[in-house]
Amino acid sequence: MELTPKIKFLGMTFDVTVMIGTVVTAIIVLLIVFLLSRGRSMKPRGAQNVMEYVIEFIRGITNMMLEAKKAEKYLSFAITTFLFVLIANMLGVIVMVNSEVHGAIPSLGITEKALKTSHEISWFKSPTSDINVTVAMAFAIALYAHFSGLFKSPKRYFAHYFQPYALMFPLHLIDECAKPVTHAARLWANIFAGEVLILILREGIPYLTAVPMFLWIGFSVFVGCIQAYIFTVLAMVYISQKVADEH
Amino acid sequence: MSLAVIAGGIMIAFGALAAGIGNGILFSRYLEGIARQPEAQGKLFGQAMITLGLVEALPIISIAFGILVLFGVI
Repeated sequence: MELTPKIKFLGMTFDVTVMIGTVVTAIIVLLIVFLLSRGRSMKPRGAQNVMEYVIEFIRGITNMMLEAKKAEKYLSFAITTFLFVLIANMLGVIVMVNSEVHGAIPSLGITEKALKTSHEISWFKSPTSDINVTVAMAFAIALYAHFSGLFKSPKRYFAHYFQPYALMFPLHLIDECAKPVTHAARLWANIFAGEVLILILREGIPYLTAVPMFLWIGFSVFVGCIQAYIFTVLAMVYISQKVADEH
Repeated sequence: MSLAVIAGGIMIAFGALAAGIGNGILFSRYLEGIARQPEAQGKLFGQAMITLGLVEALPIISIAFGILVLFGVI
């Protein structure tokens, strides 16, 4: 396992690799959306077609969960989530920046003890391959879902914990706690396992592991796309469970 | 060799086993579906891939924690 530089600030530990990755992802998403949405016209040409395809694709997800009028409210949120997770997943597959370290650097959190496990520092990898990032995103989405339900109708929100029987209350509580945890772990574990396997194959014998590595990189791109889609779908499912009208 | 190596190996092995069984059931049903209705292949393929992503999640979580145990991170 490679090491990551860490900074201590106000009693909290910040992972520099993750911060670089998150900022780069955000900038790339901003640039993509900004450049693809310039010079709009009623007759879409070139770049505008790409953006419209993405929007229609996400509109398919939101319309699946909510009725068309309400779904528009959550469309921009879903597009942001999807693009961020997709670009973040792709970054680690395409770019990996590692450097070697030979002495302890206490200011970056690299101690003699950590040096015994590895001599490599990773400076750039997928932000989603760090569990803190995915847990933060999943909990933010869970909070958003709960507060949306609470502000929509407090009575219905509290009543749904006791449906269909009051005895079901503990099960509902476990369900609500398990949702963000599995939501986060699903994305993290897929990207993390993919990156570790790329790392292991890279360090192996080139004649034996070159072909499997290229196959696995191709599969990682596929897994990254699928997981970005599933993350968005699950986010919309959790939100729609709280705000949808029952029929 | 420490016990952590054995523990990590067992976690990864069970993750692979579970993923194999789950994906086997998923894709056997998918093939049955397109054998019965070949024209539904396009529709079923997308659904099968989404379900693949959902099914793969729990085994891959076990594998990821297995890797962490194996490398002595936790």
